[in-house]
Amino acid sequence: MINRQCVLITIVYLFAMTAYAHNGEDEHANHHEMQQKATLTTVDYTLPRIKLVRDDGKTVSLPDELNDGRPVILNFIYTTCKAVCPISSQTFSKFQSKLGDDVKKVHMVSISIDPEQDTPERLADYARKFKAGQQWQHYTATAEVSVIAQRAFDVYHGDKMSHTPVVLLRAAPSKPWLRIDGFISADDLYQEYKTLISAQ
Amino acid sequence: MFRNLPQIVWGFRTVSTLCMVTMTMLLIALMAPVSYASDEAINHVGENIYRKGILSSGEMLEAKYEDGGLHMTGADASCVKCHQHSGLGSKEGRISIPPITGRYLFHPRASSNGYLDLPYVEGIRPDHEPYTDATLARAIREGLNSEGKPLNYLMPQYSMNDADMAALIDYLKRLDHGKSPGVTDTVLHFATIITPDADPVKAGGMLDVITNYFAVKNTFPIGATPALRSTRKMMFMANRHWQLHVWRLSGPAAGWQKQLEQHLVEEPVMAVVSGIGGANWAPVHAFCEQAAIPCLFPNVEAPPADADQDFYSLYFTKGVFLEAGLIANNLLKQDSEKASQVVQIYRAGDSGEQGARALTALLAPRGVTVRDSVLTKDMSASDVAKALRDVAAGEVLVLWLRPADLASLGNAPDAFSTVYMSGLLGGLERTPLQSSWRKHTQLAYPFDLPEHRRVGVDFARGWFSIRRIPVVDEQVQADTYLACGLLAEALSHMADTFVRDYLVERMQTMIEHRIVTGYYPRLTLASGQRFASKGGYIVQFSSDKGRNIVPTSEWIRP
Repeated sequence: MINRQCVLITIVYLFAMTAYAHNGEDEHANHHEMQQKATLTTVDYTLPRIKLVRDDGKTVSLPDELNDGRPVILNFIYTTCKAVCPISSQTFSKFQSKLGDDVKKVHMVSISIDPEQDTPERLADYARKFKAGQQWQHYTATAEVSVIAQRAFDVYHGDKMSHTPVVLLRAAPSKPWLRIDGFISADDLYQEYKTLISAQ
Repeated sequence: MFRNLPQIVWGFRTVSTLCMVTMTMLLIALMAPVSYASDEAINHVGENIYRKGILSSGEMLEAKYEDGGLHMTGADASCVKCHQHSGLGSKEGRISIPPITGRYLFHPRASSNGYLDLPYVEGIRPDHEPYTDATLARAIREGLNSEGKPLNYLMPQYSMNDADMAALIDYLKRLDHGKSPGVTDTVLHFATIITPDADPVKAGGMLDVITNYFAVKNTFPIGATPALRSTRKMMFMANRHWQLHVWRLSGPAAGWQKQLEQHLVEEPVMAVVSGIGGANWAPVHAFCEQAAIPCLFPNVEAPPADADQDFYSLYFTKGVFLEAGLIANNLLKQDSEKASQVVQIYRAGDSGEQGARALTALLAPRGVTVRDSVLTKDMSASDVAKALRDVAAGEVLVLWLRPADLASLGNAPDAFSTVYMSGLLGGLERTPLQSSWRKHTQLAYPFDLPEHRRVGVDFARGWFSIRRIPVVDEQVQADTYLACGLLAEALSHMADTFVRDYLVERMQTMIEHRIVTGYYPRLTLASGQRFASKGGYIVQFSSDKGRNIVPTSEWIRP
């Protein structure tokens, strides 16, 4: 079901940051090293034919939601997440305000990796907190379907606490996905989006 | 302030010794409350910043991220969300969030954990320049570590005045007091709580399991554990004797909290594990929150429904509140044309009353008329059938009753086409419901289906058999066994860092990895999630005899 091909590493964003002085004995040294970079890859994913429940309570098909013609920007979140997701969602929030009038042309998609906790009502509350516009929907599912969605985009790590920040961009249906691993600023995300769209 | 006391006293050299002692005592008497109050006030400010993201001015704490555009305020910006209640840090994905209690910040540089005289936690950084108050304030304000290097992207930069900063740093210094009460070099003390309204048979079954579990745990070689200070020593389990204290409460609920406080003074424990209650668990829950003591997975039918807001109490499910959600969901979706009139039967003061109230709250806003037929506490079971007399044909009947009452219902009138009952109160598939009721009745079933949970429960069942534990209530006893197993597993993740808050935090992290989950399909927790299993089924009997049930719904997450 999952057909992905790593085509090209395009850019690596370097953030001037990160933790502590590391030495060979710090088992987390590599982890911090990895968090310093947002790595961009171009990947093909096959969308599984699964049903998700949108934050308005409506049951929808994942391919139908993603293939409505609009460019898609997608991430995975959960509403009780304390460290990574608030940053990712705020980046999305800031990204949407950068879009200006173009905001209507984009579909922003956030899928829960803690679907039993994240009911449509909770997701709607979460969306309001980040001032999600009409183009930005949050989705939940059954526990099993959420795992299928995560596996389809290669973001499944066994449990919600093991998640890593990933943003996925696609200019149009049938086009490959631009995958951004790590933290990326809203400015850089916007630039990536513009580059991707203008290449169409 | 106390450190200056000798100098002050020795300043009065001409005064007689007796006078000096008197004056010293007077000074202590005068100074102590002032000092205590002011330390408390500082600590309170620090705690508010750390836990709630509220500054001493009442304004929200503001956090800015390196990216410039991103910022958080108030609770979202608070330290606790990443560094946790314990201050001992956490791990999210590949990011390990370091401990920030005083002893982890100010310890002398060590080349590895092996040379560090501190309990091991995952995010520990042994080899850094010790922080000072000044470099710590710089870390918080500017995002630079003790060596002037930038901190992780996730660590924001905070604005606060010097007094607030001092209060926060003071709080960090006091946050971690080392080992919790109830922890000695060789023994970990735990309690289990039994309220007087708990079903005595179930309470006996629960106690059988927990005492046996502790006995088996303690048959392994136990001795003074070497301090876990090196990678090589980390290979040892932090193996200690488990001592169980049974806290049986008595009298009216108003007196329970005081009894619990007294128990805790007499028998300090690290945590409360399992236990069993009846209709009222709220005083025990309140005690656990106030005493800051983990209360792990008690057998309760009606836990405080808003426990997600709290920290120390963890539950397997919301009990009758979950059942109310399952029934409401099913009724509104599956039987929407029939759902306009609902009548509920429950015993006054029993858990069913709380379930019934919750169901009313869910149905009434959807235009469903709900009325209650209440059985008084002392009404004999033989009179229960009378409650059915005024139920009209076409009304949906919901039974929040226990087995003795269900057995006394008599034959089901044909007029009742739709009947729901609380599986939890009614005895699940072992309910004594008479055959004429079984074809009409659907059970709220806040557990996994029997065929799905076979593997998860079989292990417990086999263990009960080997240990010759009579199975008086399989679900309660399997839950008790699961609670003990989760405690053992969480402790095994903690090495020798026996800190109460850290136990809760480790539990909420590791529980999702658990494969053998007893009566539940999966268990998940997080900060803000205190009920590990969130859904259930609606089921009915497949025939008018036997225990075979079939689901009439998918897994419902109300």
